[in-house]
Amino acid sequence: MTVAWATLRRSWLVTRRAYPWSYFVGTLLVGAFTMGLAYLGLRAIGGDQVSAEFAGKAGTADYLGYVAVGAAAYMFVVHGILWTGKAMIQEQREGTLGALVVAPARRLPYLLGFAMFAFTAVAVEVAVLLGFAMLLGVRPAATGVLDAVLALAGLTLAVFGMSVVLSDVMIVAGEAHITQNTVFSAIAILSGFTFPRDYLPEAFRWLGELVPVTPAMDVIRGVFTGGAGLPLDRLGVTVLVSLAYTAAGLLAMPWAERRAMERSY
Amino acid sequence: MIETKHLRKEFGGKVAVEDLSLTIPRGRVTGLLGLNGAGKTTTIKILATLLRPTSGTVTVGGLDPGNTPHTVRRRINLIAGGERMVYARMTGRENLWYFGQLYDIPGKVLKSRIGELLELVGLTAAAGTRVEQYSRGMTQRLSIARGLINDPDYLLLDEPTLGLDAPIARDLRKVVAELAERGKGVLLTSHYLAEVEQLCEHVYVIGDGRHLAEGSPGELMAQTGCHRRVRITVSELTPEVEAAALAFDDRVRIIPLAESGGGAVERRGARSGPGVVERQRAGSVPDSVERQTAGSVPSSVERRGAGSGPAAVEGAGLGGGIAGRVLTDGGAGDVIRTGAVIELSHPGDVAGALTKAVIAAGGEPSGLEIAEPSLEDAILALSDRSMAVVA
Repeated sequence: MTVAWATLRRSWLVTRRAYPWSYFVGTLLVGAFTMGLAYLGLRAIGGDQVSAEFAGKAGTADYLGYVAVGAAAYMFVVHGILWTGKAMIQEQREGTLGALVVAPARRLPYLLGFAMFAFTAVAVEVAVLLGFAMLLGVRPAATGVLDAVLALAGLTLAVFGMSVVLSDVMIVAGEAHITQNTVFSAIAILSGFTFPRDYLPEAFRWLGELVPVTPAMDVIRGVFTGGAGLPLDRLGVTVLVSLAYTAAGLLAMPWAERRAMERSY
Repeated sequence: MIETKHLRKEFGGKVAVEDLSLTIPRGRVTGLLGLNGAGKTTTIKILATLLRPTSGTVTVGGLDPGNTPHTVRRRINLIAGGERMVYARMTGRENLWYFGQLYDIPGKVLKSRIGELLELVGLTAAAGTRVEQYSRGMTQRLSIARGLINDPDYLLLDEPTLGLDAPIARDLRKVVAELAERGKGVLLTSHYLAEVEQLCEHVYVIGDGRHLAEGSPGELMAQTGCHRRVRITVSELTPEVEAAALAFDDRVRIIPLAESGGGAVERRGARSGPGVVERQRAGSVPDSVERQTAGSVPSSVERRGAGSGPAAVEGAGLGGGIAGRVLTDGGAGDVIRTGAVIELSHPGDVAGALTKAVIAAGGEPSGLEIAEPSLEDAILALSDRSMAVVA
């Protein structure tokens, strides 16, 4: 864990110096904008009403609560991937990938260090977003503390697994922008962040099952939206798919690193 | 030791390294030289475990980096002059601390080592400054300290002094030499061949990824016919002096001196009439005016008239750098007797003997220059041979 703690400290130092206030202000604005737009849509367009179909598929008629949970989870996933999944390509861009790879440190603790920092930072960001939601009258309530902890742990594991795989993809492709935006768009549609997945055609719903954040979102929805409780089967799927992603990403990492090195020499 | 056998590396269809066998023992600085694209950096990256060979074997201290990369990485480190390899938004001290953690160096050891390394690379005063505020040279020095953070058994140096100021480069060379004395194995690539000559006991020369030659810098120069060059400048080249020089060794070259500034230089032979003129284009390169003992006349020299013996060779256009011209009355006409440089490239120590021969023939040396052979000449000669073979 030495490497993980050292990487956490390094990330904190660098982030504090790189984004002193602008990053925090940007996060603040994203939270305010997301909840503000949802509020405007509900009041000005929806007439303060949601359809019975939406309530049936979402498991709740509390549209703002549904949006708040989805937006908070989406922010958690996106920012977690941006911090953890882009760590390696950031090394490549900074010219430090060679120095990192030639060191004997394993990649798992290194990425865990980034993840620890990422999820700490994201927690603050999500808190800001939920703060705005609460100002608008939203009151998300978990079905229980343990359920909430397990649901968040599942989502965290899903983000980490995806980040490890995306690390490989990004350093092999030598770019991050297209990769990350493709993934973010895909999960926004497929994984139940912004609308109930039951609205999707069946093929798309199955496609969503390939991404670990999809079952993780089902767990989040069960705990924080509608009060259905913790779906253990979906939590199990989350853990299995996430661990498979993590293992595959770590196993492929040496190959990806060599490909990255080959491209630059 | 680090040992490679029949190393081959392909990138797509392009062969970067072909059948390369190297030995890098501990306690020695080993050079790896070649022109750009020769495969030096690829080879170093393979040894540093950053790349995997297409075929062939690599062992580091008896270990296979392909099977045990993490164990091998504890024993090696890489310093690449062309890359930054340190974090811009961290201070020098923070960088070394972080890399120390990546190498799992115990806290107390790391603390003292960081201080020593900062002192070594002259960054103690800048230890608390962020790297983004460093000059390029300071960043490179920090990168060198990073490369030594794990006290590696083997140090791979790829152009380590690139961009460094002369005093810092000199200090680094001293450090590298000391590391080898302490038993470290060092592999060095550098475009500064004087650096390689100074540091390396053994040098491998590669071209197009293939082994071309190896040996000490002196052996490489001897292999390629690069010898110590003796140049004796005489203010007046008499026939006797010239004959004596040519008789000394058949490799002697006589390079006439000419007035600086160029212009057509002419020489009237002692027995030639006014219309017999030997003329040469001014500003031509030295080789075009040299006299070769085999008796061949450079094509750029135009000879006319009879009776122009050895002394009747005109020299001009030595880059305008050296002047020497003597006007004498030869009786039958004016004789412009120029000085010359008597040059001999020879493996032995012949400066004294050749000078004596020139003086004994009545020559008056006004200058004596002994140029040591250049490793650069050897590398170029080897690379030229390689290209000729490929062609």
